[in-house]
Order: sequence, then C-alpha cells, then structure tokens
Amino acid sequence: MNAIEKIEVDTLVVGSGIAGLQSALDLADQGYSVAIVEKAPSIGGKMISLSKVFPTLDCASCITTPRMASVSHHPRITTLTYSTVDAIKREGKTFTAAVTRKPRYIDEKECISCKRCEEVCPVLLPDEYEVGMGAKKTISIPFTNAIPQLPVMHPEHCIRCGACARACPKDCIEFLQEPAPVEIKAKAVILATGYETTPMTAKKQYGLGKLPNVISPMAAERLLAPHGPYGRVLRPSDGMVPGSIAYVQCAGSRDKSIGIPYCSRVCCMYAIKQAILLSGSLPIADITIYYMDIRAFGKGYEQFYNNARAMGINFVKAKVARITEDEKHNPILRIERQEGTSGPEEVKHELVILSQGLVPGHDASSFGLGTQNNDFGFVKLSDEMVSSAVTAGAGVFAAGVVKGPRDIPDSVVDAGSAAMEAANYMRKL
Amino acid sequence: MADAKKLAEQLKKLNELRGPVPQALRDQVAAQNKAQKAILEALGSGPKTAPELAAAAGLTHEKAIWYVAALRKYGKLADVPGKGDYPKYELKGGDAK
Ligand SMILES: Cc1cc2nc3c(=O)[nH]c(=O)nc-3n(C[C@H](O)[C@H](O)[C@H](O)COP(=O)(O)OP(=O)(O)OC[C@H]3O[C@@H](n4cnc5c(N)ncnc54)[C@H](O)[C@@H]3O)c2cc1C
Repeated sequence: MNAIEKIEVDTLVVGSGIAGLQSALDLADQGYSVAIVEKAPSIGGKMISLSKVFPTLDCASCITTPRMASVSHHPRITTLTYSTVDAIKREGKTFTAAVTRKPRYIDEKECISCKRCEEVCPVLLPDEYEVGMGAKKTISIPFTNAIPQLPVMHPEHCIRCGACARACPKDCIEFLQEPAPVEIKAKAVILATGYETTPMTAKKQYGLGKLPNVISPMAAERLLAPHGPYGRVLRPSDGMVPGSIAYVQCAGSRDKSIGIPYCSRVCCMYAIKQAILLSGSLPIADITIYYMDIRAFGKGYEQFYNNARAMGINFVKAKVARITEDEKHNPILRIERQEGTSGPEEVKHELVILSQGLVPGHDASSFGLGTQNNDFGFVKLSDEMVSSAVTAGAGVFAAGVVKGPRDIPDSVVDAGSAAMEAANYMRKL
Repeated sequence: MADAKKLAEQLKKLNELRGPVPQALRDQVAAQNKAQKAILEALGSGPKTAPELAAAAGLTHEKAIWYVAALRKYGKLADVPGKGDYPKYELKGGDAK
C-alpha cells in the first residue's frame, strides 16, 4: 500500500463546475491556498459540455476553458480530478477530508497525452460525455478540451490485449494500479457539487428513455456543440436531419408526481436558447416549444424570448400527457392545449427534447459537516437574507446549484460570495 | 514502448486477479469489429447514408449511426457535403487521423 498523500491548504473546494472553479480562483487570487476535488476525470462541470450560453449566445467552452486552465496552472491551487471525497471530519478549527484518487491505470506524471493508447485500443464504448450518441475507447481522454488531458482506462471493458501498453511511447500504462488515498487538511470548505438533470426514466408517460428520438437537453447541447457526436444536428435513431423538433417544458420540474414540485429556473431559457441555435443550424426546421408558462427572469431574458418568437419558433401553451412513437421512431405527443377549447390532440415530430429539471448532484449532508438540506435535497443557507453562501456548518460555504437551481451568471456571483465568506471566516480564526 | 516481458507479467497477474476476460465482452468486441469492417467495406463502393450503411452491414439504423459517429471520431470516415434528409459519409482519404 502506498503512503498516504497529504495536502494542507486553506480551503477545500468540492466540485469543479463553474461555481467551484470561480470560488477557487477568487480565493487563490487573494493569496489563499486551495485544493479542488472533482469526481469526474476533467474539471469544468456541466458548463464545459454546453454549446452556447443564454442570453448572449457566447460559446460555453470559450468561457469555461480559460477558467479551467487558470485553475489547473494556478500556483496556489491543487487540483485532484477523478477523486472522491469519502468523508470530511472537523476537529477544532481544522477539516480533514479523506479523498480517494481513482486509478486511471496510467502513470499520470509520465503521460504526454499523445492519445496513441486510445488510437490502438480495439474496444468501443458509448461515450457518456456525448450522452451515449458518440463512442469512446476503453482507454481514452474524456473529451477534446478536458483538463487534465489524461486518459482513463475502464478495466471492466478491457480485453487485456496489451495494445495500449505496446503503443505508449512513455511506457506509462499501469494495469495493476490501485486507488490511492489522499488526506486533505483545510480551514474552510466550499461545497460546489452542482446538479444532475432529472433522469430520462423519471416519467413513464414520456417513454422512460426508451424512445431513441426523445432526448435529454444535455444531448441536445452536444448535438449543437461544434465537437458534438455527429458534427451537426442529426437525430440518434437513424442519422436524419430532423425537420420538426419539439421541446416539452417542465418535463421533470413542477411535477409533484415525480417528487419535484419546484421550478428549475433554467429550463425555459435553455430551451429557448437551443431552439434559437437549432433554427440557425437547420433554417427550414419547424421548432415548437410546449410550455406551461415562460419564466424569463434575468437581465435581457425577456428580450431573448421575444427574439425567439420573432424568429418563428412556435410557442404552444399546452400540457404534454404522453409520448409514444410510430414505426419510424417519430415521437407522437398527446397534447392538451391550455388556450382555447379544443380537446386533446396528437402531434408528430421527428425529434423531441425533454426540458428536464435540476436535482442535487450530491447529498451534501452525507459529508457530516453540520450542513442541512432543504426539502428537495439542496444545501440550505443559514439565513438567505444575510448571506448567499453561509450554511449551518461552521466554516462550510456553498456555491452554485448545490444550493438550488440557478443559471451560470448567478452561480458565478455566488461563487464570489462563497469565496468572500470563506476568506472572512479564515481571517477570524 | 512497454517492455514485452513486463507487460506479459502484468497481464498474467491481471488474469489471476480478475479471472479471464468474460466471453460476452470478447463477443461484443468481435461484433464491433465485424460491424466496422462491414461499414468501411460498404463505403468502398461510394458514399452512403446511415440507413444505407445499416442495410449493407446488417445493423439497426441506430447502431449504424453510432458506428458512423465512432468511425468519424477516429478518422476513418468523413462527411460528404451536401443537402438532403440523410447526410452521406465517405472513406477518409490517405492516412489522415
Ligand atoms: C441543458 C442545460 C443547458 C443549460 N444552459 C445554460 C445556459 O445557456 N446559460 C446559463 O446561464 N445556464 C445554463 N444552464 C445551467 C448551468 O448549467 C448551471 O447554472 C451551472 O453549470 C452550474 O454550475 P455548478 O458549478 O453549480 O454545477 P456543476 O456544473 O454541476 O458542477 C458540479 C461539479 O461537482 C462535481 N461533483 C458532484 N458531486 C461531487 C462529489 N461528491 N465529489 C467531487 N465532485 C463532485 C460534478 O462532477 C461537477 O463537476 C443549463 C443547464 C442545463 C441542464
């Protein structure tokens, strides 16, 4: 067994989405040392896989990548990716986190990111980064702009042919690598574990994820991204350019039947954004958004919504009761209009996106830091009127969607206040 | 480049630790190789759409477009510019990666 790697810093940040990255940078730029722990093989969180962002339509990776690079090169930030925080204990004024570095099955110090291992590996897997629409190899670098650019091997899919080891110019494949324990000591903790979208299986009326052309909004982001799985917008059942696309709003929020009664705040805006981008890529496509009501709450958002209407995107106030498909996998929506007096009708589209809601990425109360969750599992603030980052756990702060659904600008602002509160707290220790 | 002896030892140890590679995984890789070969062969006679490749390779349409995405990513085939409901793909020339 290896000796435990020990890291001592001022602040531990858990999660490296835009909120975690920003709070780490804010603290490090003020002179504090930071360790940021991310469970995924790359930093960047959800934002790095988005296409463009509302309402500016700036390229998402153009904003995220420089922050990812700044974090990974910052002299005062230690980044641990592909690592899990197993437990955090507070003793006196010090937090001690037990972290496990998961094995990538390579020598991370020697790897030169040449991708030769990936090129020769003969086993293809569905690529979760492309929401299964693309493929990766059993040993592969997670995605083009991943940081760090280190491959990960999935031993359960390895046929042990040894091709990667023979191709590696630095002899850094380590088939027998083991998980490595790390101990991190810190004076403050920032929780930034973000969100997951409600699963495709949440609602049986919408096909339980079994209808190939009923996809998640993250899949739609990947279809729209320049490095997406097909390099253009095609539907996953047969590679057709969809001519008729629909969004089903509140497909996983404001729905007591699936235990998510709250509004996820970003779905109206991301659906409008994607609809605008789709009409740019597919000018002749017919795009419809089925909605309950549109919540365009931020600066410039109403304008964005009006632009979408002006561009010819159809907004239909209707509830979607059920989704089935025809023999060509064209989704059929049974809708009930909320305006007028017509009865239920069935409408056929070629691709449907479920505007899923946001649920907590991690149960932060499981860390045992004295923080509390609200009714929906997000971290509760001690007093929202006083601070947007202070939790019930002394020395524990929260940033981004870990506190509840919000967009990127709000997550970044939050990250700033979490960093400021953490700095304040540490100064007083 | 890995030392052949060290590699053989590692792989042997791995077999001891994890047992043999499951037959289901071997079969899956064999099916993947067959599908990719069939798609590339079908493209040998000219550009094709995903459904055409599915028919030529005996795959479902869904599997065919997945393999197209995989072969495209790993530099074996390229998009053919053009209009139409189903884009066409062609073999990538030379040794381009
Ligand atoms: C389809 C879609 C499109 C969107 N488009 C936009 C848009 O255009 N504009 C906009 O403003 N907002 C948009 N949003 C919202 C936006 O994604 C979020 O506001 C933002 O990404 C939140 O960042 P975060 O850092 O709080 O969370 P995340 O990005 O979720 O980051 C959390 C990180 O923590 C990691 N993590 C989780 N648990 C652990 C653990 N136990 N240990 C270690 N690491 C852990 C995760 O792997 C992840 O990397 C969109 C959302 C969706 C679903």
